Amino acid sequence: MAKTDPKKNFLVEIKGVTKTYFPRKQFFARHQNKVLALNGIDLCIETGEIFGLVGQSGSGKTTTGRLLVRLEHPTAGHILFNKVPISGLKGPELKKFRSRAQMIFQDPYQSLNPHLSIAETVMEPLVVQKIGTPETRSEKVIHTLETVGLSPGKAFYNRYPHQLSGGQRQRVAIARAVVVEPEFIVADEPTSMLDATIAIQLFKLLREIKETFGMTFLFITHNLAAARYLCDRIAVIHEGHIVEINTAEKIIRNPEHPYTKKLIKVQPGFKYGR
Amino acid sequence: MLNKYSLQRFYKGWQIFIENPLGKTGVIILVVFMFMAIASFFVPLIGPMYDPMTGIDPDIRVSTGPSLTHWLGTDNVGRDLFAQLLEGAKVAFIVGLSAAFISIVIGTLVGMVAGYTGGLLDAFLMRTADIIMVLPSLVILLILASLFGQFNIWIIVFIIAIMRWPAVSRVIRSQTLSLKHRPFIEASRVAGASHLRIIFRHIMPNVLPLAFLYMTFRVTAAILVEAALSFLGFGDPSQVSWGMMLQWVWKSGHMFQAPYWLIPPGMCISLLTLAFYLLGRAMDEVLDPRLRKEGQA
Amino acid sequence: MTLLSVKNLSIGYKTKKGLLKAVDNISFDLEKGLPLGFVGESGCGKTTIGMALMGLLPENAVILEGSIQFQGEDLVRLTEKQWRKVRGAKIAMIFQAAMNALNPVHRVDEQIKEAIITHQPDMSDADLSDRLNALFDLVDIPVARMKDYPHEYSGGMKQRVIIAMALACDPDLIIADEPTTALDVIVQDQILKEIRKVQQKIRTGLIFISHDIAVVASVCDRICVMYAGQIVETGTKKEVFTSPRHPYTLSLLGSYLSLDNLDDIVIPDMQEPPDLLSDIGSCRFADNCRVCSETCKKEEPGWVQISATHKAFCCEPQIIRGSHGKN
Repeated sequence: MAKTDPKKNFLVEIKGVTKTYFPRKQFFARHQNKVLALNGIDLCIETGEIFGLVGQSGSGKTTTGRLLVRLEHPTAGHILFNKVPISGLKGPELKKFRSRAQMIFQDPYQSLNPHLSIAETVMEPLVVQKIGTPETRSEKVIHTLETVGLSPGKAFYNRYPHQLSGGQRQRVAIARAVVVEPEFIVADEPTSMLDATIAIQLFKLLREIKETFGMTFLFITHNLAAARYLCDRIAVIHEGHIVEINTAEKIIRNPEHPYTKKLIKVQPGFKYGR
Repeated sequence: MLNKYSLQRFYKGWQIFIENPLGKTGVIILVVFMFMAIASFFVPLIGPMYDPMTGIDPDIRVSTGPSLTHWLGTDNVGRDLFAQLLEGAKVAFIVGLSAAFISIVIGTLVGMVAGYTGGLLDAFLMRTADIIMVLPSLVILLILASLFGQFNIWIIVFIIAIMRWPAVSRVIRSQTLSLKHRPFIEASRVAGASHLRIIFRHIMPNVLPLAFLYMTFRVTAAILVEAALSFLGFGDPSQVSWGMMLQWVWKSGHMFQAPYWLIPPGMCISLLTLAFYLLGRAMDEVLDPRLRKEGQA
Repeated sequence: MTLLSVKNLSIGYKTKKGLLKAVDNISFDLEKGLPLGFVGESGCGKTTIGMALMGLLPENAVILEGSIQFQGEDLVRLTEKQWRKVRGAKIAMIFQAAMNALNPVHRVDEQIKEAIITHQPDMSDADLSDRLNALFDLVDIPVARMKDYPHEYSGGMKQRVIIAMALACDPDLIIADEPTTALDVIVQDQILKEIRKVQQKIRTGLIFISHDIAVVASVCDRICVMYAGQIVETGTKKEVFTSPRHPYTLSLLGSYLSLDNLDDIVIPDMQEPPDLLSDIGSCRFADNCRVCSETCKKEEPGWVQISATHKAFCCEPQIIRGSHGKN
């Protein structure tokens, strides 16, 4: 399915990755029950594409995203970033990797530290990566805030998360992810907590960012329609297995796997007399 | 750390706090004792006779009741009881606040480190905390005092602090555990922040309010331990304190003869610890939104 | 016959900063045995309406004016004691957080039994078990699993139990507030079908509340679109979806992603709704409206009737009447 094609330029390659969780053993339980979140998945993400990972809750889609930014380690298998395995990275190399792969989290109400101002939050990656001087950093922050649609940047600079709406907070979270100009961003359901009219504007923003910076995105979602709207290619994940990978159009028009077919059938819509 | 957001939160918290009858009562009692503690600096200036430790009224040989020259009377060697009571307030504040402060500093640091790192270090720190927590602090102090003689007041403060951090560290640890997997901490990790940075910049501001809450309860405990120690005769003999005053009443055999000597320090101990306890309860309400009538905006 | 008639209902929340008018002068009627859908985004007041209809408004909420006529009674005037006779018996609710609505220590059938006995204490055991069987049959749970504990059920089955519980006393009106929000799309599809089927079978009135316009459309024939505490457009499903008139409805439909409307996506330039703490006195959607005129910023909008069942709340009747379509 996901054979490595030497002609294509893959930024991220996932090879046979398995992730098992061991929940705390129950005192009286006879067996240690383990949860297989991912079961030997293979996946390659091309440089410059928006890759959609679609699955329902508990399918392993979020785990995949967390593995790719090294918030967690795979139980088995390899993850290559620019042909280099990320599991072996340490010290300065790991820090370098951190500046190249970023993440946008689901809940904008949880992903910003309430005690830090917007400027402090967005500036943090620059500070820990030791990029620029204090003056250039604050210029960069203002510029990035404006890029993500928080204009004028100065007006948001000294505000705090609780003074912003959900949509604005998520824009701040996006600004924090793009401020170091990473090559790769994992966006884990970035709009599932937001209203539809706000969500669609964020999709537009993600597209603009992709075009301006030429970043590669992994877009994780439970919403097939959103993935089709935003992504070049889509993988459908179900119970820890990738069941189908194809271009967005082909997945929707000619789904092959029964699970994909089922997903398409139950998508809510209102156009054709449903 | 003390940025605009924290200050705004502090202000909001203070408003809820001061509207709370418990908080109000606590603050009023506390203010009275603060004035007493401040006054203690000026009393010896009136004359050497009013020094709480060395000032002896030359005309008095036995303990006397309240009079115009000695508002609360004198002890059996002619020292002014009111001056001693004021001095006792100062000492109570110093002992209570510094012991509580040291114990929350230790408790917060240990709690954050244990909760954040987890694993063996966590197990080691928490087992240590458990061991210290079950030790009876007063008994330990008594044993130490009888082994090494009477302690200087600062050593007493330090020992109380050492005995009292485990409860703080447990609470801070559990708070840290719940913070550790919050997305904003993970975002910081993804950005490449070091563990120290995450602990001090992201976790600490979020656990400090809880630490302050626990500090008020520690103050109460420290004052009581010091008073008990002094009353039993193991306090710092060079330092007047309320417990020490009680010890002198007892030792000089005035327990049942001089209520003007016995009652004020006893009342003061009860009232000051009550004040800090009320403060803690009121703070609990500020920090726990479920107890509030209205959610925070 | 009209089952429920809400007139000029306004509900406010007392907050530290003042009175927040979450629902402002809302009127609607519900015919006996029909579903009515409410759709709107966060903070539009849809949940407040649901809670008012159940008499479950939080302590700091006040009904400022208006009436809720239900079977000859004004629900606004009921005392808590009177509410207890209505709630669960005549008006029932399908909860949002279904997973937590079941008590984990009791068997499922016991919990439904209790719901029945609360309102019909003198029902005989035989009748009771007949009723239970009928209910489980209605929501398609095998009778063999009646005696299970909630944790043995899947999310979808738990939601079915919640539906059965709401139906337990054969209510005349059911309030369903985001009943499928926490569910996967596959389960959501099943539950929506279930609700639709049950509603048609037993002909109960249904108020269906959701942020998802397609979900509302799949259950309800009549729809009210809400924005910032007001109903801005109401009509039949067909009218609202094929010829939406209010600019907000257009934005809502234009930003809804489904598999069959990629070409119709219109990205709105919308900010959050206005602050409901202050009296606005003009159109609430004005700042986000793409056809906003000077009048909109000064005057209160009025109802513009488009057909017998279709109307929109706007200051500019000619824009609403003229078919300005999707652009």
